[in-house]
Amino acid sequence: MIKIEDLNVRIGQRNILTDINIEIEDGKWTCLVGPNGAGKTTLLKSLLGSQPYSGSITDSGVEVFRNHDRNVAFVPQHPQIPIGMSVSEYVMLGRSKRDGWGNESNKSRNLVADILKITGLFGMQGQFVSQLSGGEMQRALIARALVQEPTLILLDEPTSALDLHHQISVLNNIELLKDRGVTIISTMHDITLAAMYAEKIVVMQQGKVLLNGTSDFVIHSPELKTAFENRINVFTLDSGRPVIVAKKDLTN
Amino acid sequence: MLKSKGHESVLAPIWNWRITAFAAALLFFVGILAISFGPVSLGFDQIIKTLFGLPGGLVGQDRTLLIDLRLPRALLAALVGAALATSGAVYQTVFRNPLADPYLLGAAAGAGLGATVALTSAGADLYSLLPIFSFVGAILAVLVSFFISGKFFAEPNSLLLSGIAVGSFATAVQTYLQQRNSSSLRPVYSWILGELTVANWQIVTWSTIYILIALTILITVSKQLDGLMLTDEEAYSLGINPNKLRVIAVVAATLATATAVSASGLIGFVGIVVPHLVRGITHRVTNRGLLTIALVGASFLVLADLGARTLLSPAELPIGVITAFVGAPFFLVVLRKKRLVNQ
Repeated sequence: MIKIEDLNVRIGQRNILTDINIEIEDGKWTCLVGPNGAGKTTLLKSLLGSQPYSGSITDSGVEVFRNHDRNVAFVPQHPQIPIGMSVSEYVMLGRSKRDGWGNESNKSRNLVADILKITGLFGMQGQFVSQLSGGEMQRALIARALVQEPTLILLDEPTSALDLHHQISVLNNIELLKDRGVTIISTMHDITLAAMYAEKIVVMQQGKVLLNGTSDFVIHSPELKTAFENRINVFTLDSGRPVIVAKKDLTN
Repeated sequence: MLKSKGHESVLAPIWNWRITAFAAALLFFVGILAISFGPVSLGFDQIIKTLFGLPGGLVGQDRTLLIDLRLPRALLAALVGAALATSGAVYQTVFRNPLADPYLLGAAAGAGLGATVALTSAGADLYSLLPIFSFVGAILAVLVSFFISGKFFAEPNSLLLSGIAVGSFATAVQTYLQQRNSSSLRPVYSWILGELTVANWQIVTWSTIYILIALTILITVSKQLDGLMLTDEEAYSLGINPNKLRVIAVVAATLATATAVSASGLIGFVGIVVPHLVRGITHRVTNRGLLTIALVGASFLVLADLGARTLLSPAELPIGVITAFVGAPFFLVVLRKKRLVNQ
């Protein structure tokens, strides 16, 4: 259980996050949604422990920035592409915390080979990561997170740079982590996709939590439209699946 | 299900230890070459025998020439070359800038100012203190850059910019002092172009201590430097404190640079050319590439110094002229053949 109490983050003169109080269940997929600038990425960094904050974030009862043994994977929205690093080396970085930097145990080698197959990267392991397409890079990031065998994975907009087909393939790969009991917290622009995959949705606006609950509850809550300033419509398909689209007739 | 042996071939790293072994052999060969050639040629077998204390080695003047002149000079060239090449690679990684060179944070200008102060101080003959003055100047300039940038490494570019500003300021003061003391122009100018002529065992000894400390630190963290090629959050999640690692790497690289500058003046181009050349072969300047860069940098400078001593013999060329004269065109040829920066 991750418990966030009275979380505040200030960067310079700006309040990025204000009085956040939520609990995140272990082994579930929680999605942070909200307009740009709502503070979703900052919340992810705070959960990682790399962002200074006031208040408290505890993971299994321990304050996150103090706990250096915690194994958390982080998938950034805009990864830095390392120069001269092969796909297998890149994925192997996920084992750095276990094997020590630059070391590779046999167990890790086997695991990396298996994960490369699962994520469809087998055969590309000798290529440089700088030669990968956007979709392949995203899969390499997920593969690295998988070999890390984390207890928690944080993903910042994992599908934003992808076409529809690759969005689904990456999200399915992320679901593999959930099958392994990993807690997943991701930000996502596409609320329809968030509702399809996540069990819990947290709606944020201007650094505050506006709504927090099961996907079903959040999608059908009238406050969702408030968060997006009434610029979205929610439809329900015959199958019962909700679809959220932006309104077209707005003049900004 | 493949067995682990199969995976080893599948996941074989691009890296190969033979490259490092070759670089080490190259350094040994170039070193022997450098101490044997000169106005007086010494035989390879006699050199080897003398170095390893075997019977049949050199005696008398030849022995003095080898032990007290050529050997310290070759050793200093190797140390300075390794220091500059390694620091260059580390700065390029930390600042994520392929054009970063070891003199970036004001070390060169600070050392230049320190040397000028030593040479222009009225009355006292401070020439023998030049290395100490330039070392202090280099360290002071980098410290000022650190404090002006304020945020240290939260914003690497602000450190880079303050280094450039401090460097310009130190150069301005240096020029002013030179104008006031025109008699010092020539020695300062000759020092700026780089020279290893002052090499003696005393300079070699303290240079060795500082440079080896710095290089040991850098080689130790070289694997973790891979993490600085990722975003800070990724590095953090993989067990690295990126800000701490940057401080360690920059402090060690600056110590190496300041020592190199104070022992031999400003020798340009080594810190940029060598990392990029080695990257063309090893693909990476971090991790195991860093040791290779140190070895190749050492060989490069020993060879350049051999050229400086012998090309216009008995006159000497400044070694900085050789490194740029040979290094720049060679680098351009390689650059045209291969995109070294974004591979």
